[in-house]
Amino acid sequence: MKIAYSHLVSRIQESPTLEMVSDSLFQLGHEHEVEGNIFNIEFTPNRGDCLSVNGLLRDLSVFYTINHDQKVYTEKLDNLQIDFENLSQDICPQISFLKLEIDNIPHTYQGCLNDYFIDLNINKNNFFTDISNYISYETGQPTHCYDANKINGKLIFQELNTNQEFETLLDKKINLTDKNSVFLLNNEIINLAGVVGGKRTSCSSETKTVLVECAFFKPEKIIGKSVKYDIQSEASHKFERSVDPACHELVMRRFINLVSEYSNIKKMSFVSYKFADITAHKIPVKVDKINQIIGINITEDEYLSYLLKLGFTIDNALITVPSYRSDIETQNDLAEEVARAIGYNNILKKELSIPKGKISNNYDIENKLRYFLLDQGFYEVINSPFVNSSSNVSIKVDNPLDSNREYLRTNIISSLLENLIFNERRQKDSIKLFEISDVYTSKNNRIDRVRKLSIIASGRAGHNFEDFSKKININYLTKLFKEGLPSENFDFQILNRDSTKTKIKNEIIGCEVDISNFSTEVLNYKEISKSPDSFIQYRPISELPYSQRDLSFSIKNFSSRQNLEKYILGYENELLKEKFIFDYFYNENSSEIKIGFRFIFQSLNSTITETQVNNIMNDIIKNTDKIKGVTIPGLN
Amino acid sequence: MSSHKDILPPELIKDKGSLHPINHMKDSIMSLLISFGFEVVDGPEIETEEFNFDMLNIKKTHPARQMHDTFYVEKKLNLLRTHTSPVQIRGMLEKKPPLAFISGGKVYRKDDDATHLPMFHQVEGIFVDENVSFAQLKDLIYKIIYSLFGESVELRFRPSYFPFTEPSAEVDILSKEGKWLEILGCGLVNPIVLENCNIDSNKFTGLAFGLGIERIAMLKHEITDIREFYKSNLDFLSQFK
Repeated sequence: MKIAYSHLVSRIQESPTLEMVSDSLFQLGHEHEVEGNIFNIEFTPNRGDCLSVNGLLRDLSVFYTINHDQKVYTEKLDNLQIDFENLSQDICPQISFLKLEIDNIPHTYQGCLNDYFIDLNINKNNFFTDISNYISYETGQPTHCYDANKINGKLIFQELNTNQEFETLLDKKINLTDKNSVFLLNNEIINLAGVVGGKRTSCSSETKTVLVECAFFKPEKIIGKSVKYDIQSEASHKFERSVDPACHELVMRRFINLVSEYSNIKKMSFVSYKFADITAHKIPVKVDKINQIIGINITEDEYLSYLLKLGFTIDNALITVPSYRSDIETQNDLAEEVARAIGYNNILKKELSIPKGKISNNYDIENKLRYFLLDQGFYEVINSPFVNSSSNVSIKVDNPLDSNREYLRTNIISSLLENLIFNERRQKDSIKLFEISDVYTSKNNRIDRVRKLSIIASGRAGHNFEDFSKKININYLTKLFKEGLPSENFDFQILNRDSTKTKIKNEIIGCEVDISNFSTEVLNYKEISKSPDSFIQYRPISELPYSQRDLSFSIKNFSSRQNLEKYILGYENELLKEKFIFDYFYNENSSEIKIGFRFIFQSLNSTITETQVNNIMNDIIKNTDKIKGVTIPGLN
Repeated sequence: MSSHKDILPPELIKDKGSLHPINHMKDSIMSLLISFGFEVVDGPEIETEEFNFDMLNIKKTHPARQMHDTFYVEKKLNLLRTHTSPVQIRGMLEKKPPLAFISGGKVYRKDDDATHLPMFHQVEGIFVDENVSFAQLKDLIYKIIYSLFGESVELRFRPSYFPFTEPSAEVDILSKEGKWLEILGCGLVNPIVLENCNIDSNKFTGLAFGLGIERIAMLKHEITDIREFYKSNLDFLSQFK
C-alpha cells in the first residue's frame, strides 16, 4: 500500500524526517520501499489495521506524539428509514448506512482530499466515490456508495449459491458461481460484498443523493473472491485482512464532514445495525511472562507504557485489546508488540544450549550410498516429481501447473533417462547419474511412500587412460559395485533406447532400488570423496557446441615426459574447457612411451571456430616441440 | 638420465562425481544443526490439511490454503506439503519436551518463474523446553548465519508474521553490494501450536526457524537463475566437487 510521507508527518508532533519515519516503520515490521516521498509498504497479512494513514499512525504512536483527532460531524443524526434485510447475519454482523443529499457537485478539491489525489497520483472518479476512496485511505474502512435514486426497492444482504452474470462498476462482466456474499435489490445482484459494487446502482458525476454502506464482513467469506474473479480491489484487500468493526459511526461522521467542506448538505440520515455483539478481547497483565518470552527484564510500568501508546487500555490487571487489533489474542501476541517497540535488533541475544540429539540410521545409510556413488564417478541429480504420464497407481494432482505436470512420478529412472538424453545432446560421452527420492503411489485409497535410489549410466567408463576405451555395460557396473559394496544387490538392466530419438548407440544401464533393501553393511564402506570444504563460485554454462582435438606424443627421452605432462595439463586458455590424458602405452621393445591428450574447446559467447581451435593447438604444438625427446608422430 | 619412475604410467585420476549443490547445502546446514544438538526427523511429502495447516494455526482463511498456492492431490484429500513444519508437528506429537528437531527436504508451492519453482527445499528446526526465549532464538540464528556466511556478515532481525510463530521475525544479511537480503524466517512457537500438539504452553515455550536452501545456495555459489539447479546438466553439476 502506498502512503505519502507528508500525510503522516503532518500529524506527528515531532516532525521526523522521511528517513526517521522509514526507520521506525522498519522497526515495527512494516517492510517498504521509499519512492520519492511515498512509502510503498508491504504489510504482513495479520496487520489489516495498518492499511490506512490512521492505522499506521496508531502504530507509530509508540515512537511519536500523534494528532489522532480528525474533524468529524458531531451533531445528532436523523434515523435513516431503509428497507433492508440481512439474511446472513453471521457473515455481516455489523452494517451501517448513511444517506446524503447535496446541493451542488464540486469539481475541484483542496486540502487533504486534493493532496491525496495529487501526492499519490490517483485518478479522480466522481465526488462521492472520491470521498469514499479517500476515507478508505485515511481510516482503513472501505465504504460503498450507491446512487440513492437507483435504490428503489428492498435491499438484501445474503450469501447465495449463484450462477449468473454480474456487471461491476468497472464495466467488467463476471460470472458469479458457487457461494458469494452479495447485496440484492429486488432480487438482482447489485454488489459483490467486500469486493466490488455493481454498475447498475453506482454513482456517477451527476449523483447528488448517495447511500453510503459501511460494513464489517467476516474475512473468511471475502478471501479468495478477488483472485477468483480477477478483480484488483482495495476493499477486498482490506476486508480479507479484517477491518475495525467498531468504527462505523466515526467513519460516517468523517464522511459527512468531508462532504460538507465541498457542498451544502440538504438532507442526511444514518442507521447502524448490530446483529451480534463484538466484545473486546481481554488479556491478563503478566509482565513476567512477557520478559520470559522475549528474554528481557523490563518493569510492569515500562511494559504497560508501550501498550498504552499502541492504543491498548488497562483496567483491573486486564489489558483490553483495541477493536481494530483482531490479531492480538495471547501473551505471545503482546510480547511481539513489546519486542517491536523495543526493536528486535535491540534485544540482546542469550546463550542457547541444546542437549545432544541422535541421528537416524537411515540417514547414515543414505549418505554412505551417496558417497559410494560419488567415488564411482556418479553425479547426484534432483528432478521434479511432476510428470505427464500415469499408471494405475499414479497420484493425480488436482490443480496441476499444466497438463504436462498432472501426475506424480511412480519411478525415478524415467527422470534419469531424460537427464541422460539431455547430457548426450550436449556431447557428453560418459554419463553417470543417480537420484535418491521418495516415490508415492496410491492404491485402494492408501498412499504408499517408498524411498528409492535410482542409478543410470551410459558411454565411456571414464576419461582417464584406463577407463577411456571401456564402455559402460551391465558387467562393468556389476563388478564395480560388487567391489565397493559386496553385500548389496544392484539389479542392473539395459534400458530401452527406442524412446530417446538419438543416434547414439551406447547401452544405457540403470537400476532402481528401495533404500530399505540396503543392509547396515553399507555403513562399513570407506568413502574417498569428500564434500567440498568451501563453496564454489559458479561459472556460467555454455549451451554452444564443443570442439575436440587429440594429440598423441612419442617420448623416447623418458625424463621429458613429466615436462610434457606439466606443460599440457597446466595449459590455460578461456576457450580450452578440459584437457586430460586418455591414452598411455609403454612399448618395451621399441623403448618408447606413447601418450595421448584430449582437448575440449567451448566458448561461452559464440560457436567456436576452426581457426580459434587451430591457433590454440598450434601454440601447444609449437611449445611441446621444444621439449627434447618428444615428437608428434606424423607431424615431424 | 631416465629412471624407472619415468616409464611408470601417469597418475591415474579416477573420475569422481559430486553431490547435488542443493543437497550439499542442505547437508551442511543439517550437520551444523546436529552439532548444536538437534535430532533429525523425517516425514512424508504428501500431507493432510490437518498437519500442513490446521495444526500449525494456519486458518481456513489463510491465502496459502487456496488452490492457487497449494498443490492438492487425490480430490483434495491430501496435498503436497508447502513446508517441512508438519514433520515437526508429528515429532512433537510423538515426544515430550525438551525436544529439538530438524527436518529437511522438498516442499511444493504453486509457483513457476525465474525466481520460484514449484518444488524447492527447506530445512526447519524447532526447540521446545521451559523458558525458551526470543533472545535465545537470536543466539541460535547468529550462530547459523555466522557459520554460513562468516562472522563479519552484518545481519538484522525484523518483525514478520507466520501463523505458527509469535513473535515472528525475518532475518536479512547485508550483501557485498550493500543490499539487505532475506535469509530465513523464525520466531517463538505460537502457544496454540504447542497446545495442538498436547504440549502445555504455560510450562513450555519453543523456538522455530526455517531456511530456504535454494536461496542460500544461490547466494553462496553466486547463481542467479534458480532453474540451473534442476536441469541436471553435467557442466553445472561437475562444478560442485
